[in-house]
Amino acid sequence: MLLNELTQALSRLNLAQVAPGDYAKTGCHLEVEAAPAQMPEVARLMLEKGCFLESLTAVDFPEHFTLVYHFNHFRELCRTVVHARVPKEAEAPTISHIYPAANWYEREVYDLFGLKFAGHPDLRRILLPFEADFHPLRKKFAPSETPADA
Amino acid sequence: MLERGLEEKFYVLNLGPQHPSTHGVLRVELQMEGEFIVKADPDIGYGHRGHEHMAENRSYLQFLPNLGRVDYLHALAYNQCYCMAVEKLLELKVPERAEFIRVITCELNRIASHLLWIGAYLLDLGAFTPFLYCFDDRENILDLLDRVTGSRLTYCYYRFGGVPRDVDDDFLAGCKAFARRLRSRYRDYENLVNKNVIFLERTKGIGIISQEQCVKYGLTGPMVRGSGIPYDLRKCEPYSAYPLFDFDIPVGSTGDIYDRYMVRYREMEQSLRIIEQAVDKIPAGPIMAEKVPKRIKPAPGEVYTAVEAARGEFGIYLVSQGDTTPYRLKLRVPSFGNLSILPEIAVDTLVADLVAILGSIDVVVPEIDR
Amino acid sequence: MEKKTGEPLIHLGVLEEALNLARANSLWPMTFGLACCAIEMMAAGAARFDLDRFGAGVFRPSPRQCDLMIVAGTISKKMGPAVVRLYEQMPAPKWVIAMGNCAISGGPFFYPEMYAIVPGADLLIPVDVYVPGCPPRPEGLIEGILLLEEKITGRGRLRKFRNAAE
Repeated sequence: MLLNELTQALSRLNLAQVAPGDYAKTGCHLEVEAAPAQMPEVARLMLEKGCFLESLTAVDFPEHFTLVYHFNHFRELCRTVVHARVPKEAEAPTISHIYPAANWYEREVYDLFGLKFAGHPDLRRILLPFEADFHPLRKKFAPSETPADA
Repeated sequence: MLERGLEEKFYVLNLGPQHPSTHGVLRVELQMEGEFIVKADPDIGYGHRGHEHMAENRSYLQFLPNLGRVDYLHALAYNQCYCMAVEKLLELKVPERAEFIRVITCELNRIASHLLWIGAYLLDLGAFTPFLYCFDDRENILDLLDRVTGSRLTYCYYRFGGVPRDVDDDFLAGCKAFARRLRSRYRDYENLVNKNVIFLERTKGIGIISQEQCVKYGLTGPMVRGSGIPYDLRKCEPYSAYPLFDFDIPVGSTGDIYDRYMVRYREMEQSLRIIEQAVDKIPAGPIMAEKVPKRIKPAPGEVYTAVEAARGEFGIYLVSQGDTTPYRLKLRVPSFGNLSILPEIAVDTLVADLVAILGSIDVVVPEIDR
Repeated sequence: MEKKTGEPLIHLGVLEEALNLARANSLWPMTFGLACCAIEMMAAGAARFDLDRFGAGVFRPSPRQCDLMIVAGTISKKMGPAVVRLYEQMPAPKWVIAMGNCAISGGPFFYPEMYAIVPGADLLIPVDVYVPGCPPRPEGLIEGILLLEEKITGRGRLRKFRNAAE
């Protein structure tokens, strides 16, 4: 069972939480909480087990950003969600050298939230024009920040 | 970046944002050495419309029409995924008849999407005639879907807890007639495309993706199935009424463009099989769940749901804070991950092959950009 | 933007009228899809609706060979400059059809906190015909093209039908 294997391997990493998830409710089999600095370690382990990066995104909470990583496996359904809290104005380490898929996802998070990834090879804007000076998915983003029409 | 001393060796070619083979508004910056590509850098965002920002400013129901416009070619799968996410948060149970209607319409839409891809892709490769054949067949599906959903393209048909309008016997008979019609056309496609020497020359052995690359880049859909991984969420993570039907997952062996084409081509037949079984077995009963709240206000929590769309896995990550609007809604779109492999597989190919590879990814640019 | 950008540089008097007739009946649109409406534009050119019946089915990928730009879809802020550039590359006389609500006014994507799109093609380039719908059906686009013919020549196929109806 991949779920047991992952649970055992992840619990060796000293993470804040490794618990089975309520699949019927959240759609995830394994819920993990990690510090941002532990993410490369977690990612390396997931790749070793043959998981792929399903999605990477962030949520802007009032006190911190939460990075949300979803991993899944092609052969056996086992969705692992990893939450990592990043304080505002702090940087998170990149995992793009482990998962090339994360390259674009991290650029997207940077573009929409302004959250920087340390060690990312090419942290440019990806969706918005390069000259944009705002990050639209920040909760504090107000329409007045919108530049005038192109 | 250019290496020192090699400046004269390379030149930059700009493909897009208005280029017929980019299927919309994708721009690829190519660094060329003669006819060969040294580096390809896709520049996306020319279709960015801010769907995710819009979700945080709209109520749950108001955001539903947006899902028909993220990937307009397989809109119903996106409707399905969003409805499933909200239904999970609200703990609604969808009646069986509604699930069957969802499966039938969603599969019809999948065939329409694949037909359009085959037509447009062969147009990229320089063959105009198949485009007319594909659109002719596609119009028949649109007629059927138009009858029940009320629109030709940007469907907004499913609701939280079911579907708003029942299908009639004419529609079900029409589905069966369409299945017969499409099967009778296979011979035309075989002769026009699948046996065409030019087509085979341009697709076999080009744009090969290994299984290892599939894992590293998080590819989904026909991209991984072409490389031989039978990853199809309809089987791997069964949702809706899919477990009740008997169908196969076509897979390729080498992972080149031809395999990806054949996967999509064969998938149409599997979708027909699902439709026929669903039409035969569709139960009577209600089409809407009981006790759907008028004002949708889910309890705090988060949910990830995924469906198999025509281009790959479409997922929604939804965070609710007990409000009438989603706190955060992330659309995990298949083409975004699928396109991110382009810089790797485009190296050392010709521009003409790049067009073939790009088309085989089956990108819908406004879906990538959201 | 000056009003007369779409006008030809040289006027040829009476001959102009004959030329206009020719222009109106062989409009060459550009393959220029921005979003959802592009699919309906393709459908209009394909088997069932067959824009070729009206001489407007020759879709050209290069702006330098076209005289009709169909703005089919949402114009994002990033795409805006490219739309203007493409319009400027087309040889005059040239015409523009704004297809769908996004190209007309931003459509469903225009709301006060919106940051990503240009609400309306007419903020960037002069538009001749507006075809509403989300997306418009291919019949709608065909009517728009017939209306443009009427605008170019002053007499169109559509006018004949309309007079008959009255």
